[in-house]
Amino acid sequence: MGPAVRPLRRLPGGSGLTPGLLLVAGVCWAGLIRAAEAPAEFSVHWLAVATPVAVEVSGMSRRAVAALEHEERAAAGWGRLFAVYAEPVEPALGGELPPMAGTWRVADGRLRFEPRFPLEQGVRYRAEFRPAQLPGGEAGAAPVVAFFQLPAPSMVPTTSVARIWPSAAVLPENLLKFYVQFSAPMSRGDVYRHLHLRDAAGRAIELPFLELDEELWDPGLTRLTLLIDPGRIKRGVKPLVDFGPLFETGKTYSLTIDAACRDAAGRPLRADFRKEFRVGPADRTPPDPARWTVRAPAVGTRAALVVRFDEPMDHALASRMIAVAGPDGGALAGEVTLGEDESGWTFVPVRAWQPGAHRLIVPTTIEDLAGNNIGKTFDVDLFERVDRKFSTASVKIPFEVR
Amino acid sequence: MKKSSSSLVLLALALGLTFGARSALAAMTEGNPAFKSMTQLAFGPDGVLFVADAKAAAIIALATGDTSPAANGATIRVEGLNQKIAALLGTTVDQILIADLAVNPISRQAYLTVSRGRGPEAVPVLVRVKTSGQLEIVATDKVKFDRAQLPDAPVDGLVGQGNRQSNPRMESITDIAYADGRILVAGLANEEFSSTLRVIPYPFKSVAAGTMVEIFHGAHGKFETRAPVRTLVAYQVGKEANILAAYTCTPLVQFALSELKPGAKIQGKTIAEFGAGNRPLDMIVYQKDGKDYLLLANSNHGVIKVAAEQIGGAGSITAPVTRTQGLAFEKLDWTGVSQLDRFDSRHAMVMRTAGAGVMNLETLALP
Repeated sequence: MGPAVRPLRRLPGGSGLTPGLLLVAGVCWAGLIRAAEAPAEFSVHWLAVATPVAVEVSGMSRRAVAALEHEERAAAGWGRLFAVYAEPVEPALGGELPPMAGTWRVADGRLRFEPRFPLEQGVRYRAEFRPAQLPGGEAGAAPVVAFFQLPAPSMVPTTSVARIWPSAAVLPENLLKFYVQFSAPMSRGDVYRHLHLRDAAGRAIELPFLELDEELWDPGLTRLTLLIDPGRIKRGVKPLVDFGPLFETGKTYSLTIDAACRDAAGRPLRADFRKEFRVGPADRTPPDPARWTVRAPAVGTRAALVVRFDEPMDHALASRMIAVAGPDGGALAGEVTLGEDESGWTFVPVRAWQPGAHRLIVPTTIEDLAGNNIGKTFDVDLFERVDRKFSTASVKIPFEVR
Repeated sequence: MKKSSSSLVLLALALGLTFGARSALAAMTEGNPAFKSMTQLAFGPDGVLFVADAKAAAIIALATGDTSPAANGATIRVEGLNQKIAALLGTTVDQILIADLAVNPISRQAYLTVSRGRGPEAVPVLVRVKTSGQLEIVATDKVKFDRAQLPDAPVDGLVGQGNRQSNPRMESITDIAYADGRILVAGLANEEFSSTLRVIPYPFKSVAAGTMVEIFHGAHGKFETRAPVRTLVAYQVGKEANILAAYTCTPLVQFALSELKPGAKIQGKTIAEFGAGNRPLDMIVYQKDGKDYLLLANSNHGVIKVAAEQIGGAGSITAPVTRTQGLAFEKLDWTGVSQLDRFDSRHAMVMRTAGAGVMNLETLALP
């Protein structure tokens, strides 16, 4: 099952390790190796320059090697003979920790263990060989131990919050979400702890966001979606009744992302990031493309098509969903930019504009800052008898390129 | 068949014709499902484990082959579960995220979806806890499996635009449940506000993408809400198969499984409000002394127990609630529970904090 046995590379110092510490430096790693109180015939050495990293036992008798080669052992059996342990930073409360998962094989008279997962920077790994567990091994023979540790990664911060959407300084009372764009991939699993929504007096607002264990990231973990708990926005539902609205018109708030928020490498951010904004009246009016303006570009150029919305739109959806169809009905390739606090949309085509009838295609599921879609408000009043269905429909805005 | 044939009957017939006597297991392929992530879990029949892969927008049915019944009376207790998983995966406890727990109802072995690492390069791992308490990694590189691909970006605009090389849209899967030949998948997107429930018939072959339905619950009679379902469970009310769904802050909503038809808009019935400032985490149904009960684990309100006999005759909550209302419930002294599943007819399995970031896995007698 395993890969073909490669010639084994020896570390400087090889098998002649003496008790004590030996520092081995590589291009991108450094290792600590120690053979502790080894009986002369056995040694355990880390092959830190091998890919994957492996650890080997040498010095076994031919008879022992031959027996190992023909022995059927389950992982637990191999683990009793030779195992690698990731040493915890804090002592474990639940008793003995299991060894690291991996595979064992015997080749060239040596027993080799390859961890299933790559070794982590800063973690100390202990390889332990127990000769007593060898076929015909001497009971009471002392274990042989070798440690390995990649240097801990730098904790100098390099990542920051690049942007927060919506960009506007005034946001509707029933704002539905924020997007936080980081300059590099982040760590997930702990993010809500580092986000704070505060009022003008600096008081924290309780439970403002819909917290999901998984957290709402993009696949690359650079953009976080913060959904305001819909219960704090929707009319007539319990959290709104209990806590009141999250925001009040006319007041000022801030959203802070603590520097303690960790990036994917575990480093904190360069600095806290704070967005201040004032809250305006609730927006319960759906966006209306009939009120958008479209400035058609000149034929033969790659000038931008410029669209002005009737209100700021959700950044992610306006960036992704609006498309341009050419005279033949096919979608045009190009670059989209949102500006003017997300109330302006520009499209620069890859190829020059052709003459003829074009259309701007706007799916009705696009949202404004309060989650209103084209043709329907975010919270539908049952008495208004709005027919709400899944709709993949889109609004088409024609424009002529000449 | 003419008059009474609902689409579900037709669907069942179609499945029957497609599969005949072949079992779902026989229809599976062997290979590597190439998980991009592993999040929510649910067991189906014959030791089949459904694993949600939110990053790949898919539900994978894995044939675990774990079908040897457990010895009666076996229980499990693993102290420092997260420390032990970290050790097994060769990393530190802070680099382990445990997404879900499911107990195989046949073997009583526990399965946990674990992320090794927290960044975009994190590796998903399925860990099994044997009844002996020993942990092992479930190899998924050569398994029998089947896959249901969820539509990745159902409301995406036209294709072919130059700015779509990397689509930042993702859909989180908040819970999955298996009920009566169907997998229910509750999800929430990171862009458009579309909390959805997808219904995917199992075996997967005939309808790959499943059906999307929107569930509303008439909050206090007037306004519809489409908040995301946080956790759901199938439950029989009288002769009717029902789904009980818990939402944030914390209404419990009931709807009939038979209503889950293609394109349906479902009006759920809010039958309880368990209190604000709270997230429901996990829900199970069990029987004791001939009566059914519901256990709901919460972020803030601990684990609560509800006598399910109330559900049949429960009224719909239609007026604003100041504290709690609807089904009567009782708070248990089970502290720090973040994962909950049924272990056997007399025990629940929980993962809970044992202080200082240490998690234990325990079986607890059902109350």
